[in-house]
Amino acid sequence: MVGVSLRHVYKRFGELAVVDDVNLEVADQEFLVLLGPSGCGKTTTMRIIAGLETASSGDVYIGGRRVNDLLPRHRDVAMVFQSYALYPHMTVFENLGYPLRIRSVPAEERRKQVIDAARRVNIEELLDRLPKQLSGGQRQRVALGRALIRRPNLFLMDEPLSNLDAKLRVQMRGELKHLQHALKTTTIYVTHDQIEAMTLATRVAVMNKGVMQQLATPKEIYDNPANLFVAGFIGSPSMNFLQGGVANGVFESKGARITGLQLRDARDATLGVRPEDLTVCGAQDGQIGGEVFSLELTGDSSLLNLQVEDTHVMARVDKDFTAEIGAKVWLKANPSRCFLFDTRTEARIA
Amino acid sequence: MAETTLQQSAFTEARLRQFWIKAKGWIALAVIAVALVQAIFPIVWLGLNSLKNRLEMFARPPIWFTMTVTNENYVATFVERPFLTYMWNSLAVAACSTFFAMLIGVPAGYALTRFDFGKAKRHIAFWILSTRMMPPIVTVIPIYLLFSYVGLLDTKTSLVIAYTTFNLPFVVWMMKSYLADIPKDLEESAMVDGDTHTGAFWRVILPLAKPGLAATAIFCLIQSWNELLFALILTETTNANTLPIGIAGRVTQYKTEWGEIAAAGFAGCLPIIVFAFIVQKHLVRGLSFGAVKG
Repeated sequence: MVGVSLRHVYKRFGELAVVDDVNLEVADQEFLVLLGPSGCGKTTTMRIIAGLETASSGDVYIGGRRVNDLLPRHRDVAMVFQSYALYPHMTVFENLGYPLRIRSVPAEERRKQVIDAARRVNIEELLDRLPKQLSGGQRQRVALGRALIRRPNLFLMDEPLSNLDAKLRVQMRGELKHLQHALKTTTIYVTHDQIEAMTLATRVAVMNKGVMQQLATPKEIYDNPANLFVAGFIGSPSMNFLQGGVANGVFESKGARITGLQLRDARDATLGVRPEDLTVCGAQDGQIGGEVFSLELTGDSSLLNLQVEDTHVMARVDKDFTAEIGAKVWLKANPSRCFLFDTRTEARIA
Repeated sequence: MAETTLQQSAFTEARLRQFWIKAKGWIALAVIAVALVQAIFPIVWLGLNSLKNRLEMFARPPIWFTMTVTNENYVATFVERPFLTYMWNSLAVAACSTFFAMLIGVPAGYALTRFDFGKAKRHIAFWILSTRMMPPIVTVIPIYLLFSYVGLLDTKTSLVIAYTTFNLPFVVWMMKSYLADIPKDLEESAMVDGDTHTGAFWRVILPLAKPGLAATAIFCLIQSWNELLFALILTETTNANTLPIGIAGRVTQYKTEWGEIAAAGFAGCLPIIVFAFIVQKHLVRGLSFGAVKG
């Protein structure tokens, strides 16, 4: 079991830097999730760690050893690909045994380990099948089994759940978490799905345009976003943003006046407030007023979408709340849960 | 009344639709039959003629099936004349040139799909293709002179070298496009699993490329097997003469030995047909399905 360290890592394609000065310390046994929209450089960062891409500059350390010049097979990492990358001409047994075959593990020992790995991921009865005879979930398990069979120092997982249907994804998420806990192997996991990131990670590294935006625990990222991008990316539905200015603890913008804020004065600012931190209230206490654009029942609550001047504000309201479309509704924000950002630099204003 | 008419028209429509489905099947069968006859008739006719004597061969109206089967043409070809040697020469030259073209061309095609060497990649790929753009006859004289300098004239080696050179661009381009369809994830996964790049190519990529390899090899084999021009210029004696030369040689100054041509031609078709049957199962594509995604 080892830690991983990236120091000033860049990956450039001509003028374009897809990984831009990434610094990262992953602790031993940690489950770190690289989260970001597609094209943000998260997969490239992972491929640099695996040795499938070379960094344009910067250093990569695995277990304290600089691995920049090591081939993938010498890094002792195992990777689960988004496509699973099962060898189609080999049976499940041969797929699982491949990493051992390469290392010339004797046939009997190999058989024992394959069966052991298959048991761990619940695919013992599929060993004679070819990948094309498996369902998506079963393929996913084979890919996982192949990764864990040789007890690597580091697991790398590139959106391993993205090809599964929603129900299976939730189930596999739980199993992944359990497996990582049992094996205690340092894991780096790439995803664009914030729910996956929040549920699985010890820490989350949010990336955008090749730059690491914030590296913190899921709770910290949710409660204390470092900038406008992180605030908008984490949370579903995403955070509401209002453009305006703060003076003497009062934020004012078109259609909104929020008081009682413990925020610094700022002229050109963006106020962020999550849908769950808004409550419906009467006109006399109302801070944000608008017409109902839509009201969607999600089961345990409803999502109220208000048209506030030229923008929309989303609030999570009680599931019994009713209102006609077009009706005027007032919302009140929890002042301690409002975030202020510099509109120009997108940085958080403390 | 109106309801009955409606039912009747629905019934007619359903019958029409059924008829049309059947008709489409018959039309498809008819087209296949025509194509089949067109492909097989020359071979069958060649085979039948090889068993006829000279009189029956030119009889009018034609005798489709001879009653007096004769082996005189086969005896004249394979016993009295060195057609077995020609056949052996053809086989050796075609097999060797196919082997070498594949040996060099497959890794080259792989390199062109997987390795990044900037702009040069496109130029190299085009340059390889461009060597096939001129008519082969243009290169006959330089190649003849070259081989005469190094003392390779009238050897099977000269033909193997020449055919390998011609087949190479095809192998590179066919394999390049075939290998490009095999997901890169597979070899990357093999490399992370602990394999070398060569090992991943050998153990993962090549087995998946079997259909492409089979198709390309058949193509090379047919090209080399049928080639006449270079064999005619570069070889002289039974030491290296190939089957097409032997067959062409039966058109003599005074007469054309149609019976021998038919016998040699029919026998000459067989090795390629046998090879095609052997590799047939690999030609079925679809091995790489199930490799990725759900």
